[in-house]
Amino acid sequence: MKLKKLVLTTALALGATGSAHATNWLQLQGTEPAGSAERLKVWGFIQPQYTYTENTKLKAGPWKGQKAVFNQTAPERKSSNTFQLRRARLGIRGANFPLDSKTNYFLLVEAGKNGITEFDSAVALTDASITLNHIPYARVRIGQFKTPGSEEGLQAIHVFDYINFTNVTDQMMLERFLDEDGSRAGFANGPNGSVSAFRDIGIQVFDWFDVGEWQHSYAFMVGDGNGLNRTDNNNEKDLYAYWSSEWIFGGKGARRQGWKMFAWGQSGKRTLDYTFGNPGKRDFDRDRWGFGTTFRKDKYRAAAEYIYADGMIFNGSDGGAVPGSTSNNGAATASLNINPNGESEGYYVHFGYAVIPQIELDIRYDYLDRMKNVDAAEREFTTLTLGVQYFFNKKTRALVNYEFRDLDAPDFPSSAPQNEIADSMDDRLTVQLLAIF
Amino acid sequence: MYRLKKSLGWLIVTALLAVSSLASAAPPEDKPFAEKKVVLQISDQDAYKQTLVLNVASNLIKHYGPDRVDVEIVAFGPGLRLMFADNSNAGRIENLSENSGVRFSACENTMRKMTKKLGHPPEINPRATHVSAGVVRILDLVEQGYTLVKP
Repeated sequence: MKLKKLVLTTALALGATGSAHATNWLQLQGTEPAGSAERLKVWGFIQPQYTYTENTKLKAGPWKGQKAVFNQTAPERKSSNTFQLRRARLGIRGANFPLDSKTNYFLLVEAGKNGITEFDSAVALTDASITLNHIPYARVRIGQFKTPGSEEGLQAIHVFDYINFTNVTDQMMLERFLDEDGSRAGFANGPNGSVSAFRDIGIQVFDWFDVGEWQHSYAFMVGDGNGLNRTDNNNEKDLYAYWSSEWIFGGKGARRQGWKMFAWGQSGKRTLDYTFGNPGKRDFDRDRWGFGTTFRKDKYRAAAEYIYADGMIFNGSDGGAVPGSTSNNGAATASLNINPNGESEGYYVHFGYAVIPQIELDIRYDYLDRMKNVDAAEREFTTLTLGVQYFFNKKTRALVNYEFRDLDAPDFPSSAPQNEIADSMDDRLTVQLLAIF
Repeated sequence: MYRLKKSLGWLIVTALLAVSSLASAAPPEDKPFAEKKVVLQISDQDAYKQTLVLNVASNLIKHYGPDRVDVEIVAFGPGLRLMFADNSNAGRIENLSENSGVRFSACENTMRKMTKKLGHPPEINPRATHVSAGVVRILDLVEQGYTLVKP
């Protein structure tokens, strides 16, 4: 009895260690550890938050004096000072037949208020995939799931060190689906469904290989490229490719310590009904590629990534106004815009330091050069984010982010309306509580 | 004389059978200096329990030293998944077996039932010894002075 007490106490004090199921994002989201996965594991997370900007009104242009879209809180863009249930996700995952380690499933729904649930319903399916682990070196995942791509999009959002995405990820990777490019006069162009949420419906072949202390991963995917929970709107398919190599220092799961390098590419076509002032369906290329690195060891975290976007460039709203609002002279309605032939590039650099296990300080600099190939449309977004994370426990933390935001129209003088509108952009304070269960 | 020879023959056969019976029931003599003998039961498919039973074995080895403690992990029922060849803990099992002399036993009764459900025999970790019945193996070890622990 004494012996049993001793070993149990020691085991529980040391906790679970040393699982061979090292993880990366491809592995973590949908693949279960062989021989030990449950038939059904319920999990999820909740992210209530508060967002504040000074609500500076547009300083120039046809909507001068009206609300600036970038100072309002997404997705509704009605308030600059609001509480919000940013995400509330509930999921189940596991091995449907536990004796067979080779088949896994993953299901997740979103009930928070964001770009996923803004248009279709209060609750939306974000992930529903089946992973078959039967073929050596070629696991197969089918369904709706995260596409292999940029680190910010691919990583699990509940371990994201910040509250908001960088400009380049938010505008170039988090795809908004529109029917038109915004050039039709008098038409309030807007999304025709939820944002992509970095996901697609299709089939992916992937796997990972341990070589000494290194883990190499690859993924190829074919998908519809038309967003969540609907079929394709054309016959073209999106292609995705991804590679990562990580030197693993230790640990496991989403906060594994290591140094990872990665590169990825995505290519597809989008069909628009009205472009460049002319009606008629036309297909346009949408290409994205990037590369980057992440580092995590002891108290230190770092990441950097470069992203290039060619085609289907999200180009903000008319005059910086909230989409749907009427111009001061009543002649125009603000639309969302996409430039089918635009090009953009951007990057971010992030450093984090855990002062004590409960407190982590973060700093991130990100830059987006949007529409870099068209002088009149070019805009430069620069944001410096300071963040603090307080961990109540391993699964509950509070995040405070202050973003110093700057927008510039580099090909216009500072006194031009374009730059006066850009000067309307406020800094942003966001506070979030995150609980994972 | 014939009767004497016959009696002697029976005596020898009986003695041999008794010795062989004792030998088969005894644990492997690979831990002659073991002061503590522990059998760990895993009959639950829960991943946490799988990790816990391996943690307990590791902690026993750390506490007493590999020569001073004799540990055997017996898996049966849903707990047999720990002994699957592709189990995510296979690396730890190999390490405990090779470096610390921890023994692993897999229940054949459970294997037969799983074979019916799967349509083929489960692939068992080569580090595991097949025993006819996990619970019988535990009872035998307890009779031999092992302490049963069910983490």
